[in-house]
Amino acid sequence: MHHANHFYGHAHVLARYAGLGDGHPPRINGYVQHGWNIGDGLAPGHPYAERTPSLLWSEQTRRRAWSVGRRNVTVIGAPFVYLLAMQADEPQPERAGTIWYPFHGWEGQHVKGDHKELIARIRDTEPGPVTVCLYWHEHRMRRVRRLYENAGFRVICHGYRGHWWKDTDPEFLDRQLAELRRHARVASNRLTSAIFYGIAAGCEPAVYGDPMVLANEDPTFGGTARIRRQWPELHGEQVHLPTAVEIARAELGTDHRYPPAALRELLGWAHLQEETT
Amino acid sequence: MTTETAPAVALPGGEMLSWSDQRGEAGNDPLAALAARLVPAGARVLLAGPHDPALLDALTHARITCLLRGYPDAAAVAGRVDRVLVAGPHGLPPGEEYDVVIAGGGLDAVESVEGARLGWDAALARLVAAVRPGGQLLLRLDNPLGVHRLVAAASWYAGRDDAEWTVGGVLDAHRPANLDQLRVRLAAAGMRAGASYAAYPRPDLTTALLATDQLARRTSSGLFDAVLHDACTSGFGGRFVLADPARLAVDALHAGRAAELAPSWLVVAHRAVDPLTTDERYGTAAVDGDGLPVALVQAGGPGNTVVEVVDGPQGWSWHRPDPGDRTEAAAAPYASREAAFRDPAAPDGPVPDGRLLRSLLLDGCLRRDTTLLRRLLRGYADWLADQAGDGRLTGAVALAGADNLVVAGDRFAVLDPTWRANAPLPVDVVLARTLWRFSAELLTGGYAHPWTSTLDVAGLTVVLGGVAGRDFDRAVVDAAVETEAAVGAAVRGLDADGRVGLDTELRAVTPTDPPPGPGSYQQLREAWLRQREENTRLTALLKWTEDLLTSRERALRRSEAAVNLLSGSLSYKVGRLAITPARLAKRGARAAKRRAVAAIAQKQQDRPDKQEQQ
Repeated sequence: MHHANHFYGHAHVLARYAGLGDGHPPRINGYVQHGWNIGDGLAPGHPYAERTPSLLWSEQTRRRAWSVGRRNVTVIGAPFVYLLAMQADEPQPERAGTIWYPFHGWEGQHVKGDHKELIARIRDTEPGPVTVCLYWHEHRMRRVRRLYENAGFRVICHGYRGHWWKDTDPEFLDRQLAELRRHARVASNRLTSAIFYGIAAGCEPAVYGDPMVLANEDPTFGGTARIRRQWPELHGEQVHLPTAVEIARAELGTDHRYPPAALRELLGWAHLQEETT
Repeated sequence: MTTETAPAVALPGGEMLSWSDQRGEAGNDPLAALAARLVPAGARVLLAGPHDPALLDALTHARITCLLRGYPDAAAVAGRVDRVLVAGPHGLPPGEEYDVVIAGGGLDAVESVEGARLGWDAALARLVAAVRPGGQLLLRLDNPLGVHRLVAAASWYAGRDDAEWTVGGVLDAHRPANLDQLRVRLAAAGMRAGASYAAYPRPDLTTALLATDQLARRTSSGLFDAVLHDACTSGFGGRFVLADPARLAVDALHAGRAAELAPSWLVVAHRAVDPLTTDERYGTAAVDGDGLPVALVQAGGPGNTVVEVVDGPQGWSWHRPDPGDRTEAAAAPYASREAAFRDPAAPDGPVPDGRLLRSLLLDGCLRRDTTLLRRLLRGYADWLADQAGDGRLTGAVALAGADNLVVAGDRFAVLDPTWRANAPLPVDVVLARTLWRFSAELLTGGYAHPWTSTLDVAGLTVVLGGVAGRDFDRAVVDAAVETEAAVGAAVRGLDADGRVGLDTELRAVTPTDPPPGPGSYQQLREAWLRQREENTRLTALLKWTEDLLTSRERALRRSEAAVNLLSGSLSYKVGRLAITPARLAKRGARAAKRRAVAAIAQKQQDRPDKQEQQ
């Protein structure tokens, strides 16, 4: 299995949904899109075997992937959608305040931007208590963490996404969903997976503030400027909720979620399931 | 002039003494059914040229004269008709007239190699002269641009068969090349063309006659879709063609061109009582063949019963022209233990309107419109569930696949309810069978679709079940394939061994196979491309796996080196010494446990022996 399938415990969530239990997930016959993406659904820079299936979140991403030469692309929906389906009957806690996700790059990238300015903007905008969720490597940077803590925000981290099968936190998404369900709003300085997850989990979204350009950001797919052009409805301190819900539904591929048996087929787990039973 | 040896056979000159036009693979049962409708009892009928023997069976109530160029063919029908003339068109006695003249093999087959050649127009004129004023002519014309020609592997202009002593084609301006031209020629000859039919699937084999006006109007008709597909698939079975004729015919239907691409046409023409006042003497309704069937269909190909579709105030309905057949069919199915039986009364009742589910699903797959696919498949699954009693389905619903279901809005209906399940089938098995059949057709047909190439037919069936909102696994698909083999065996009349063979055959279908039926160059090439793609994918995957294995082995070596390094360190040795008593104690406890278990087992073994001794 490609190690990116393990990021954020995606493979673990899918295995649980597919009825394979909480153990180590079997190898997936394909690449699961591991984050919301304005490209072909795969992470740039990762090596991939040609024509191995891409298991994508949305139909729009599938069309885009096909147009840039990807084949064997199919839509299964985001793993988060599968998690939501598993926890549909969970009691919902009372919601309060905002969970704010300052945009992060991945480990190899470095964000350029002014955290202090962003903190001021958050304070001015958010009506209730604010929880700031930092990406793990920013959370480890005491300087950055202190900035947000000193502003009076609760600072959390959902966990380590894992790398090369090591230290993947299988509960990452569970933790994120639990946090999202505690908040009334979800906000970020960029339109990212977390915003879509938040909308799907019942939060009102907002995208505002300095988008914090990454050093050496890959401009292949148009970057933040394109995101603002293509999804203007999701940008701003207040967003029209029904529109946002509709867009999130499409981007996360909520309607594309398969039942367990079909998911096992799509991930190459069908024969394995027969063996274990 | 007659011969002394065969008095019923007249040889007026121009006969071909050793020639036969009878071909094993030819047939035209729908024409026989149509003729039975048109010819009144006692009517004088001329059969000009070779015809399917079924036509003679259908016209036993008429007085028949056959005009045949081949003597063996004449001898074969001699005892069954009133008179046989063995000759070309010249052999028709001047002044002799008939109520109905049928040239169901076209005019080429009327002309003999002997004597002067008449050509198309003159041959028509000779036959028209034999139609009494007010009488009818049923004439077939082959289409030089029909589906058969478009998919033919051999060029038409290189004809080398015995029958091709001249190759008549579209370049010959003396013969009509389309329906409009045919109507003009008929009018010029004093006939008014009325109803016309598109005849599929081949010029020499007609298993479906479909009214041309309806074909142009009802371009999305589920009935026409299913009939054309079935006729072309079975009509070209085992033949090598360039492309799938069924696909082409159904595409032509949707483009409103199924009549134009028919392999041949059949026209019902009327001779005016007075050629100068044709229009005044004949009302449009009579001339246009009002009341004639919209379609005459031999479902499943030659050998099966022809059923009609007639138009009425309530829309189209099925009509079986041969009610005597019902009692015969009734006995066998109920007595048998087959998975399916033919309903003796079916098809009967209205023909449901709507588009064929197969075409809708194919369209959804090609356009990757998963929303449409979800709506269709969920609608179908719910429709099945609503009709189920105790989770099981009976009757025609239990057997109807996507090629026999029509959808109008959100309503589903079985198109042809002839075949019914003998025993109730679980809803999931019915759904899985429909989806398995569709998956096999989608994959082997080489259609583009929204899923990955890693799915086999059973896997795609499960995935489509998921699209339908149902969570069934391969065990259900397995039962569905078993049902498919059992139903297929019943429909084809196979014995137990045949059924097992069919089951094995069905399970062996892979996505890189070409589809069964016609051997189409396009589909064979597509199958080869799929195999190549799969090889490319697997090669890339193998290389990736090799690279990954190398990197993981390197990581393992590093870890082993670290472990070795640590196990030689002082802290490791001290730690190991410290836990040695604990390790020894653990080992001792294990040994004690083993001994205790062995002793208990021994005692238990001894006890029964003692009891037996007591």
